[in-house]
Amino acid sequence: MTSSASATGPTRSTIGAAARGSDRAHTVDSMNESGGFTVIEAIRNGQPFKPAVHESLAQESPIVSVRDFSLYYSDVKALFNIDMGVPRGKVTALIGPSGCGKSTLLRSINRLNDLIAGVRVEGDIFIDENPVYAPNVDVIELRKRMGMVFQKSNPFPMSIFENVVYALRIDGERRRGVLEEACEKALRGAAIWDEVKDRLSESGLSLSGGQQQRLCIARAIAADPEVLLMDEPCSALDPIATLRIEELIGEISQKYTVLIVTHNMQQAARVSDYTAFMYLGRLVEYGRTSDIFQTPTLPETEQYVTGRFG
Amino acid sequence: MVWLTGLSLVVAMSMIIGLLAIVFLNGVVTFWPRQLDLVEMTGGDSLLGVAVREEAYSASPGKRIEIESRVASGELPADVMTEDGRLVRRLYMVGNKEVLPQPFRWVDIADIASIEHPVDATLYERMAWGAWIGKPEAVLLVQQKRVPVQGEGEGPALEGTTQTRWGERRFERDQLEFAPDEDGTVLVRERVFAAEGTGEARRLFNELHPEAAKRRAVIEHIKKHDIGRVNLGLEQARLRQREAELRRDDIIVRERARLDRALEAHERGRLSEARLAAARERFDRRRAELDAAVEAAQAERERTDALLDAEYKEILVEIATIEEYDDQYRVLIRDVTTGNFAPLAQTRPDEPLRISQVVRAITGNDLTFGQRVGVYFSRWWEFVSEDPREANTEGGVFPVIFGTVMMTILLSIAVVPLGVIAALYLREYAKQGAVTSVVRIAVNNLAGVPSIVYGVFGLGFFCYTVGRYIDAGPTNPWSPGMWFIGLGGTVVVVVGAILSQMFSKPVPGKALKLRHKLLGWSTFALWFGSVALVVTLVATTPFFKGFFRAGLPTATFGTKGILWSSLTLALLTLPVVIVATEEAISAVPRSLREASFGCGASKWQTIRRIVLPRAAPGIMTGMILAMARGAGEVAPLMLVGAVKLAPELPFEPHFPFFHLERSFMHLGFHIYDLGFQSPDSEAARPFVWTTTLLLILIVALLNLTAIAFRARLRRRFVSGAF
Ligand SMILES: Nc1ncnc2c1ncn2[C@@H]1O[C@H](COP(=O)(O)OP(=O)(O)O)[C@@H](O)[C@H]1O
Ligand SMILES: [Mg+2]
Repeated sequence: MTSSASATGPTRSTIGAAARGSDRAHTVDSMNESGGFTVIEAIRNGQPFKPAVHESLAQESPIVSVRDFSLYYSDVKALFNIDMGVPRGKVTALIGPSGCGKSTLLRSINRLNDLIAGVRVEGDIFIDENPVYAPNVDVIELRKRMGMVFQKSNPFPMSIFENVVYALRIDGERRRGVLEEACEKALRGAAIWDEVKDRLSESGLSLSGGQQQRLCIARAIAADPEVLLMDEPCSALDPIATLRIEELIGEISQKYTVLIVTHNMQQAARVSDYTAFMYLGRLVEYGRTSDIFQTPTLPETEQYVTGRFG
Repeated sequence: MVWLTGLSLVVAMSMIIGLLAIVFLNGVVTFWPRQLDLVEMTGGDSLLGVAVREEAYSASPGKRIEIESRVASGELPADVMTEDGRLVRRLYMVGNKEVLPQPFRWVDIADIASIEHPVDATLYERMAWGAWIGKPEAVLLVQQKRVPVQGEGEGPALEGTTQTRWGERRFERDQLEFAPDEDGTVLVRERVFAAEGTGEARRLFNELHPEAAKRRAVIEHIKKHDIGRVNLGLEQARLRQREAELRRDDIIVRERARLDRALEAHERGRLSEARLAAARERFDRRRAELDAAVEAAQAERERTDALLDAEYKEILVEIATIEEYDDQYRVLIRDVTTGNFAPLAQTRPDEPLRISQVVRAITGNDLTFGQRVGVYFSRWWEFVSEDPREANTEGGVFPVIFGTVMMTILLSIAVVPLGVIAALYLREYAKQGAVTSVVRIAVNNLAGVPSIVYGVFGLGFFCYTVGRYIDAGPTNPWSPGMWFIGLGGTVVVVVGAILSQMFSKPVPGKALKLRHKLLGWSTFALWFGSVALVVTLVATTPFFKGFFRAGLPTATFGTKGILWSSLTLALLTLPVVIVATEEAISAVPRSLREASFGCGASKWQTIRRIVLPRAAPGIMTGMILAMARGAGEVAPLMLVGAVKLAPELPFEPHFPFFHLERSFMHLGFHIYDLGFQSPDSEAARPFVWTTTLLLILIVALLNLTAIAFRARLRRRFVSGAF
């Protein structure tokens, strides 16, 4: 059960899974002679295959490294031996048809899946050099290193101010000055300061949908996380609000590493530096966004990003 | 189907509305001042009273035939009988218990010759003996005084006039002494007719009555507070002395055992003569010390007793002074039927009533509408603010309201935290499975247990077990050695439970092992055992002798009381709160919890900051339901705390304020008592309605308060400002 990776820890040179695969007896090449979807077939038949991880990733240093990671909901396997690194300081998009395990993977990184009874994992994930799934990990400390933004905006039933400083409050921060400063900084960071600066004591629920989502982003970055996890943050928003959030992601990525799940190909193309394509719980192809969208290695990926399959 | 469902809704609604309307109508009219009828009867008899209600009854055939013939001849109107030949009669409230055979009297309509409404007919509500209905004839100033005899061998003037505040007035005197003393005076009782004639008497009565009522209030206050304080002091002194004695007895027993051990050791030759002598000396010394302490306590008590006795005498003198003054002012009110006047007391029919004995005089036929409204509200105010009188059929229900409200508040204070914690555990911490399902079903079924069962449990467990323990300590304490062994065992079990719990925690993300399952069960068993052991230890400790041993055999907590009532009802309403809280907790959106966890909050932080505030309105709903159910419950209270007449409120305006051990009065029980236990059911009947109305109003008020509070909480979660 313990993967070799978790025993040794990741090394900077091995961001992709290129180094693995040698222990796989029958790897399937991405395209067979007839030009069909061999990888998809392999996945459907449960055969091992080698995900196409581009060379470009090898130059990046990973902040999150997923190592041979599998996850089961009770007896149902939802993630299959995922191997990937999330480059530091970049925006990485997770795409794939719905139900392919994007959210599951995202929530595995901050161990939010612990809340679901019957979840079982194999392999490990590392934040920098630190294992996420080691027995003595302080999950709370771990979660404090990450911020999370959800599909549906979910501000707490409190004032805007309290919403933003929630993470600091639970950390025991009481000094008004510190809280106010952090609040302003986070709200500015989420590009919502000008809209709410006069109504900080109003309920967070009194904002519009797009504002609520930016409030949630402010809340996620208030405690200065290392990684920002976003699970389809725009899927419940109108196009204008979506645009604002996308701009915001661009700004945020200058300071934080962002891992974003999205359903929207254009969005992935617009906001991300790297894109990972997942299918039925497997990582299929992973590379620079421009490469994935323009010159993908696998025909499946091409079909998916052009909307002809998925 | 639409018709059927609509119909049943209409039926249900009209039953509820009908119930409320009946209670409301009957309760609301009680205090309205009604007309006083002066009824002259054909037999020459007459009465003055308030008509209560009419009914038809089957009279004896002779009477019936006679009346039928008189109706036929046109001598009587037809409405003295019903169509089926029954006679109509009317119930009059005639009061005047001291002189009339019954305070309520049935009169055949056929026997009524005339009805008048004399303007000066008055209903006097009195402090004791109920209403007196009559016409005021005179206001008297009664005094005992020494007056000079008129001449040698003659008595004093027994009639004459004298100067008063109101001018020249007639007096009458009774000679009490016949031999004049050296300065030629004899003792007489003098009655000065300060006002004579109905109109005058009424006017002067109204002038004097407020002062008299004030004097009555002052005396009542002195009796209640000052004498109460003296009695409390006496009781406390007695208790202190008793405590000293008990302490001596306890220690002497221990010391004697010690001496006996020394003696035994000496006999076996293991203790030298000198050591034995030292032991003896120690025993004697201890005994002398303790005896001295007891004597000191005794002396202290005697000193306090003397002081308090002196104070008591002073208070009595004060009361006597006021009473002597008060005793002068009398009013002569004559009963129409017998011609007797309202007496000072039933045993003194020749002395007229004191003005201060009257609570309120209502001239039922001579009131404007505004005055009627005034009387109406003043009676309501008295009803809600005064103590009851006359076996609860008069006066007010203030202590009853107070008891009900306090009990309800205590009940909420007890049930809400308990229920919320239980629900939190069930919903948030316990592993959802067969055990939690069984617990949930059990809790739900608890709600269906008849309430009297809770009463029996409360009496047996709270009053007689816990209460007696608080009063007198454990009944069968273990020896100290045994107890410490038990303590050691308990510590082992508790530590085992903690360890087992630590190791039974499954690693998230890893498969559950058999080991974890087994440890989980053992944790449960060990915690269960720990609780049982701790309870046993507490129940058998030889070091606790009870807080109120000195007061025994009078139980302090070991009997009915408001605390036990609240706890019993808390138990009764616990399922309501648990179910409501569980629902509220599970209705908190998952997304909020995840967001909180995502921010790095622990489980408890998430519960405290997100789940509980968000579930608060739902929890309030549970509390409201619990309060509504608890406030109206009667059966268990009859066993564990509610009484017909509580001498004291469970609250006092000085330290220690709350007396949770006291029994209390409760509106629900009061209704039962008035309706079914009252010696005078006719008099009690209107009070049953008003009390019922009051109970409904109070429950509604408590609920409205809670609902308003909940609405405020809810507003937070919708949107907008705080
Ligand atoms: N709480 C859960 N319990 C059981 N299965 C789940 C749960 N959440 C997700 N799954 C399953 O895991 C798979 C991946 O789901 P998810 O990660 O939500 O997909 P995506 O976000 O890519 O649409 C799906 O097949 C889904 O049915
Ligand atoms: Mg998803």
